[in-house]
Amino acid sequence: MKALCWQGKTKVDVERVNDPTILNPRDGIVRVTRTAICGSDLHLYDGYIPSLEPGDVLGHEFMGEVVDTGSEVNRIKKGDRVVIPFTIACGQCYFCKHGLWSACDNTNPNAWMMEKLYGYSGSGLFGYSHMMGGYAGGQAQFARVPFIDVGALKVPDGLDDEKVLFLSDIFPTGYMAAENCEIKPGDVVAIWGCGPVGQFAIRSAFLLGAERVIAIDRVHERLKMARAAGAEIVNYEEVDDLVEELKWITAGRGPDSCMDAVGLEAHGHGVGAAYDYAKQRMKLSFDRPTVLRQVIQACRKGGVVSIPGVYGGFLDKIPFGAAFGKGLTFKMGQTHMHNYMDRLLKHVQQGDIDPSFVITHRLSLDEAPEAYRTFRDKQDECIKVVLDPWQEPVAA
Amino acid sequence: MTITTNLAEKNGGKAFSRRPATTNVETALTLATGAAVGIYGAVRRDWFGAALAAGGGYLVYCGVTDLRRPYQGRVRSAFTINKTPQEVYDFVRNSENWGQLLREPQFEHDGSGQITLRFGKEHAAEFKSHVEITDEKPGEFIAWASEEQMLEHRGVVRFKKAPGDRGTEISVALEYKAPTGPISHALASLAGLDPEQLIREGLRQIKQLMETGEIPTTAGQPVGARGLRGTAKRVLYHERPAAEMQPERMAGD
Repeated sequence: MKALCWQGKTKVDVERVNDPTILNPRDGIVRVTRTAICGSDLHLYDGYIPSLEPGDVLGHEFMGEVVDTGSEVNRIKKGDRVVIPFTIACGQCYFCKHGLWSACDNTNPNAWMMEKLYGYSGSGLFGYSHMMGGYAGGQAQFARVPFIDVGALKVPDGLDDEKVLFLSDIFPTGYMAAENCEIKPGDVVAIWGCGPVGQFAIRSAFLLGAERVIAIDRVHERLKMARAAGAEIVNYEEVDDLVEELKWITAGRGPDSCMDAVGLEAHGHGVGAAYDYAKQRMKLSFDRPTVLRQVIQACRKGGVVSIPGVYGGFLDKIPFGAAFGKGLTFKMGQTHMHNYMDRLLKHVQQGDIDPSFVITHRLSLDEAPEAYRTFRDKQDECIKVVLDPWQEPVAA
Repeated sequence: MTITTNLAEKNGGKAFSRRPATTNVETALTLATGAAVGIYGAVRRDWFGAALAAGGGYLVYCGVTDLRRPYQGRVRSAFTINKTPQEVYDFVRNSENWGQLLREPQFEHDGSGQITLRFGKEHAAEFKSHVEITDEKPGEFIAWASEEQMLEHRGVVRFKKAPGDRGTEISVALEYKAPTGPISHALASLAGLDPEQLIREGLRQIKQLMETGEIPTTAGQPVGARGLRGTAKRVLYHERPAAEMQPERMAGD
């Protein structure tokens, strides 16, 4: 089959690889009909995530039709149309049973690797480096899904692929991030980052009862999409001091909750940002926490900081004094997908939200390597790329 | 409560704590080499000789401490399993279950105390160890000791109820003696033969088998061109390409 493989920093290729097979009795094989490129895939593309090796298949947002199941699979049958969550959970361990699905004990074959860095290992992820399990991802024509009974969301007929694909990652991620903001009626929520996750976070914040949502970015079409959802937009490049701007907008209070939907590859300008870039180049630090610093500084006293943005390693120069002095609450982590997929599918079925709004590019798998660059550099007004692994590329 | 892990009286040999870690031959060799190099270095009466003498002196020191140092290593690992202590005890006590663990290297225990570790391509290389259960209490602990051989080990595996409704705390504490230096120890770790690694991953796999019925794996999944570095790393991550997968290994058959 064809699959998108990582071959080095900023180098991905579509290659012919062996088809997936049932390796364990609770596996299922899915024929992928649609898959997407995630913002966190860009961290892999740019080489920021360790333990990625040439030949690894990428991709963790995918859906399709079940073509084979292992001997212990009961709920999911061949022919079912399913959306697959990007986290793999066993459903039997302490964490799964307590709703902490992305902290599953039993799905990372390389748990010892994550334990060395983090102390304890979370669940395996699709297509996200060997430290997170080393599972082949879904930017391919077929994918092997462990514990398919636990994870797969069955999709009813009558709903287009594009309407449900984002239940595999970004919609639940944005929703959980908004939930983590602990929104109460009358709250003002500020969201840094109007990429796809930010867009879903904005809409989820309104669904959860926020009175005002302030969206912060610098890319014109992303701010436009945020405004279409009802957010007030701030272009941080046109503003002298973002923290002061938010103080002005919220009449001296500060936002009740602040969300970092940007993560480790934050862009910024000024001395602090240049310092971060330099340290990363010299391999002195992994992540660039420009946005996290602003989020902590801007949040109101006693407020909540919600972090769906991915961080990998160690951060430098975090204003933790401000966090302590203001008594902030921090909520973060990989999305506990299995808590949200059914709930959000209902929202889609009821017409509360059409997730396909975020798609700007529809391409074949063969055009994916170009698409990674377009997505990363935000060219061609790119916000979200969806790939069809079975579509032949249009002859140039 | 004292748990016995001592086979010494039965075998008539010295107790575990009194036996040196290295064999007599190795210690003798170390001492002899150290003395020879040291004397040669001293006789040369130049700076190079001084360095040799220092090296020789170090080897003599190693030889002397080898005679006195009883233990080589200790391992301690614990996991919490979402089953009752009696269920976990029964699983561990049943030697047939061990065949499902540690596919790389492969771990086998026949009923009579003979443990075999198989590793390498097609599991050609073998390591055998005979153990005896020295003390046990069903549902609570099992203590074992191995006979005198190249790699000796003794230890205790305990089964305790975990706080709240979390199941069982299974813990292994063992001591081992192996006549290997730090370099060969590091190389063995790469092949997955470090005792701490084996015990920890073995316990993890018992937890995974008991809670979910399977051990997570990616061996045999789709993979693109690996290149030189990638192929070297493949050993580290214990991956095997799909072409090497034996049909009988695939569940669902």
